[in-house]
Amino acid sequence: MCLADLEFDYINPYDSSSRINKAIMPEYITEAALCLFYLVTGHWCMSLICAPYLYYNVRLYTRQKHLIDVTEIFNQLHAEKKQRLCKLFYLIVLLFLAIFWMILTALEDHDMD
Amino acid sequence: MGTENPGRPSFPASPFAAAPPTITPFSNSGHVGGSEASNLRPTRPSFPPNTLPPITAGPAGSGEPPAFRPAPPTRFNDPSLPAPPSSYGPPASGTFNRFPTPPFGSMPPGPPARAPLVGQPPFQPPPSQVSPPPPFRPQGQIPAVPMGSPPPGVNTPQIDSPFPASRPNFQPSFPPTASGYPATGASSQPTLPGYVKQSNAPFQAPQGPPVQSPFQATPVGYAPSAPTPTPHYLSQQGGLAQAPPVASPYGLHSRDQIQHPGTMPPMGSMQGLIEDFSSLSIGSVPGSIDPGVDSKALPRPLDGDVEPNSLPEGYSVNCNARYLRLTTNAIPNSQSLVSRWHLPLGAVVCPLAEAPEGEEVSVLNFVSTGIIRCRRCRTYVNPFITFTDSGRKWRCNICALLNDVPGDYFAHLDATGRRVDLDQRPELTKGSVEFVAPTEYMVRPPMPPLYFFLIDVSISAVRSGMIEVVAKTIKSCLDDLPGYPRTQIGFITYDSTVHFYNMKSSLTQPQMMVVTDLEDIFIPLPDDLLVNLSESRTVVDAFLDSLPTMFQDNLNMESAFGPALKAAFMVMSQLGGKLLIFQNTMPSLGVGRLKLRGDDPRAYGTDKEHSLRVPEDPFYKQMAADFTKYQIGVNVYAFSDKYSDLASIGTLAKYTGGQVYYYPSFQAANHSEKLSHELTRDLTRETAWEAVMRIRCGKGIRFTSYHGNFMLRSTDLVALPAVDCDKAYAMQLSLEETLLTNQTVYFQVALLYTASCGERRIRVHTAAAPVVSDLGEMYRQADNGAIVSLLSRLAIEKTMSSKLEDARSNVHLRIVKALREYRNLYAVQHRLGGRLIYPESLKFLPLYGLALCKSTPLRGGYADVPLDERCAAGFTMMALPVKSLLKLLYPSLIQLDDYLLKPSANADEFRKVMKRLPLTADSLDSRGLYVYDDGLQLVLWFGRMLSPDIAMNLLGPDAAAELSRVTLVERETEMSRKLMLLLKKLRESDPSYYQLCHLVRQGEQPREGFMVLTKLVEDQTGGTNGYVDWLVQLHRQVQQNA
Repeated sequence: MCLADLEFDYINPYDSSSRINKAIMPEYITEAALCLFYLVTGHWCMSLICAPYLYYNVRLYTRQKHLIDVTEIFNQLHAEKKQRLCKLFYLIVLLFLAIFWMILTALEDHDMD
Repeated sequence: MGTENPGRPSFPASPFAAAPPTITPFSNSGHVGGSEASNLRPTRPSFPPNTLPPITAGPAGSGEPPAFRPAPPTRFNDPSLPAPPSSYGPPASGTFNRFPTPPFGSMPPGPPARAPLVGQPPFQPPPSQVSPPPPFRPQGQIPAVPMGSPPPGVNTPQIDSPFPASRPNFQPSFPPTASGYPATGASSQPTLPGYVKQSNAPFQAPQGPPVQSPFQATPVGYAPSAPTPTPHYLSQQGGLAQAPPVASPYGLHSRDQIQHPGTMPPMGSMQGLIEDFSSLSIGSVPGSIDPGVDSKALPRPLDGDVEPNSLPEGYSVNCNARYLRLTTNAIPNSQSLVSRWHLPLGAVVCPLAEAPEGEEVSVLNFVSTGIIRCRRCRTYVNPFITFTDSGRKWRCNICALLNDVPGDYFAHLDATGRRVDLDQRPELTKGSVEFVAPTEYMVRPPMPPLYFFLIDVSISAVRSGMIEVVAKTIKSCLDDLPGYPRTQIGFITYDSTVHFYNMKSSLTQPQMMVVTDLEDIFIPLPDDLLVNLSESRTVVDAFLDSLPTMFQDNLNMESAFGPALKAAFMVMSQLGGKLLIFQNTMPSLGVGRLKLRGDDPRAYGTDKEHSLRVPEDPFYKQMAADFTKYQIGVNVYAFSDKYSDLASIGTLAKYTGGQVYYYPSFQAANHSEKLSHELTRDLTRETAWEAVMRIRCGKGIRFTSYHGNFMLRSTDLVALPAVDCDKAYAMQLSLEETLLTNQTVYFQVALLYTASCGERRIRVHTAAAPVVSDLGEMYRQADNGAIVSLLSRLAIEKTMSSKLEDARSNVHLRIVKALREYRNLYAVQHRLGGRLIYPESLKFLPLYGLALCKSTPLRGGYADVPLDERCAAGFTMMALPVKSLLKLLYPSLIQLDDYLLKPSANADEFRKVMKRLPLTADSLDSRGLYVYDDGLQLVLWFGRMLSPDIAMNLLGPDAAAELSRVTLVERETEMSRKLMLLLKKLRESDPSYYQLCHLVRQGEQPREGFMVLTKLVEDQTGGTNGYVDWLVQLHRQVQQNA
């Protein structure tokens, strides 16, 4: 993800886009797995929060826009960077929530004991 | 607007009776300057100051007066008598036109020659039908017009004062005129009236009524008429607004003009004069126009594209406009100005544009010193750098860094700070130079020119005769391929299999190898698929001779295009070069196979619409990216008669800096000339190989987006595997800082390429533009051509991501916004209530905007243009240089019959014939023969009542036959020879494409419809706006929340 700014100058678009594209599918899959996991383990809230992100990914995927296009990479640079930053921010929030949740449940368990 | 509308309808009823009311304006104006009037009348001298300009202008650009004259008749007929123009128009224009001629001819001698008097009598007649007095009276107001127009060139302030004076002056003089005009001839006055009257009288007359009470409103306001209380304004305005009509009316009556050649010569010089005015004018010069009334006087670019010729002082060393054109030659100094500009801010670059004889870019060799460049920003040495420290240092004009002058390059400075050797240093005196690049600029030895052909040999290709034409053309070009003796060449043909040819020089016949494994394509032979042309010439010749017969009986209907493409890529990737693809059948086998997704009418108008116009299979984009990476440029020649998904295949050309040639339903019999000409041009024109282009600009601004056929290698480096003179690139800039502090910004285009001779070269174009803080100045310096070029590229890109409708409304919106902004600048202070105001520099913008919306890539919807054609036109327009693009948007329409009937034809007359007519159906006379030329094709339009003589002479016995099956060939008649000569000249004016000549007879549907009628951009066809409606619409929107 951080490659977006990397290729600002020094690496050529071919490499950068192929590297970015390699990372995209794993990311989507992890995301989806996580969301499913929450759902299965009964963390409704967390899975709900994950849902929009997943939906966005799926939508991109179905429109065939999930991969970076070498030929247009510079025209899309701005939008891509914004998109990725948003995603990152979202993921961080998600992470915090998850940790918070975990601690909370840990504490509860502790109390119960 | 409101006021005029009611007024207008009344005209038809009693156009002339209405005139008397005009008197009121007079008396009005009389009041305005009444007192002065009396003073001024006696003081003739005061008159001259402003009379003179017009007069001098007259002789100099002698076109001016006549130009005005014709205008009135047209307006006359048109607005006031909408219905009968045909019947009424001709006589009126005839007389009028004739009339102008004499005064005109006599004008030049100068003020004293009271020639107009001579002119008067002829003039009288028309008034007589009209009732003489009214036309004259209006003059009082009108003087503003002619006088106004010249003065802007002179100096606005001065004009202001004389103006009120002059007006009153007229009034008194006129009344007498009405009765005994000729008599008044004694003084200079007559001249003015004479000249004024012609232009204004008629057109003022109809306008009179609305004028009556709401004086300022003069809503009908042609700028010229403007008898408003703000006289100074008029003067300026008159100048501006007048210019357009001047240009246009001329073309309108070409029929008459051709008959009276006397009127013609001034035309050219006059245009020049007007351009001067606009570019010189100092004052704030808004033009205004009443959209509803005078369709004939609307601005039209009948002179084609006019390059911004007069550069402001101090920019004389700028590179020529054919290489670099900025959308405005005044760079805004702040973000807020940029956001108020609304039109695209950027440049159109055509780095290799063909220069006329004697103006070629000089090639310099800096072997001893190395190329001098700025240490920090890498700017090349150029005329704008300054030397300091007695010549030991130089300051970079772009980043202001002080650089050392290398010892070998050192020269002393003279007293004025100029280098003593300036005369021997073209790089310091010329805006465009070419450096021979030393080895630091190469990553590998310069590549040889390389041509690789990928030819479809499936059944449809064979049947259409394409293969034969291609083989013949290539063979005839072999001697002219650039770069002898290093040139390399190779061939692959494909149907359901891929065929390679071993052309080793030791062979006598080429060896054919067939690869059928499409899933995993491989090259059967490591070398010898690509051979040196001079060594293997005999083999190549033998191959090309046998190619057509080899596949004569091929019945294969499949096309393994994708695998063949990959194979070509593998063969070429060592060297790079140019790949020419001749494609006839939809790719159906192997990778990159395309579905017949077709042109789905249901998709139009939905969000999915744009997906039809983007490549379906990512394979093509990927291939294109790989091609560019390995310096391969692709040109696509598509011939299919069925849908062949050019949107996908054309991508190959788009991202490799290539071109798409599309010959729908190619048949050798009809199209072979076009194909062979264009292929020849493609093969033999000077080409720059493995090029990269970068455009640098001063601190604070940055080029942010690039538009055209190429691929970006990094944020600002344009990769162009093969460039030539027919390609232009556009880019937009943005400000990085909120406020620019420097006075001037510099732009430097550097194209690093390998010339066909094997030399690595850098072509550098440098230009400077002033930074301004005034929006008005930006508009004044705007370059219409560059703006239209950028707008159209943006619009075409828009069609790739949204609906056609959106792209069109985008264009529309930008024009509206720009005009509104301009209006806000001037409307309030000049109380221009109901007029459409536009800057002189952009007078054609609305028309080009309209033409753009009606151009092939943007027009209509599903049924209007076949998808492939739309895509092909899109690719073409993305690459066209400004001049050709403008011609494509607003093609020329020329009447030929008079020329053909005339016995002699010399060069001078020839120029006269090339008179462009406005693109409306009204210009087409059913007794005439017209040629329509948009730079890509010619259409000969035969009027229904054209004398059979002409048709007979041109077409021989075929004249009566269906014209679609007739081809134009030179016959044994004088007329036919003349026509062919003329067509040849038309073609020579733009050699980048071959304009195939189509013949159409009036009323021959549907051919006439799609060949001519839909292309008359000013007409209302199939739910699109006509020019007048378009202006009205623009005007209305400009006024809303203005």
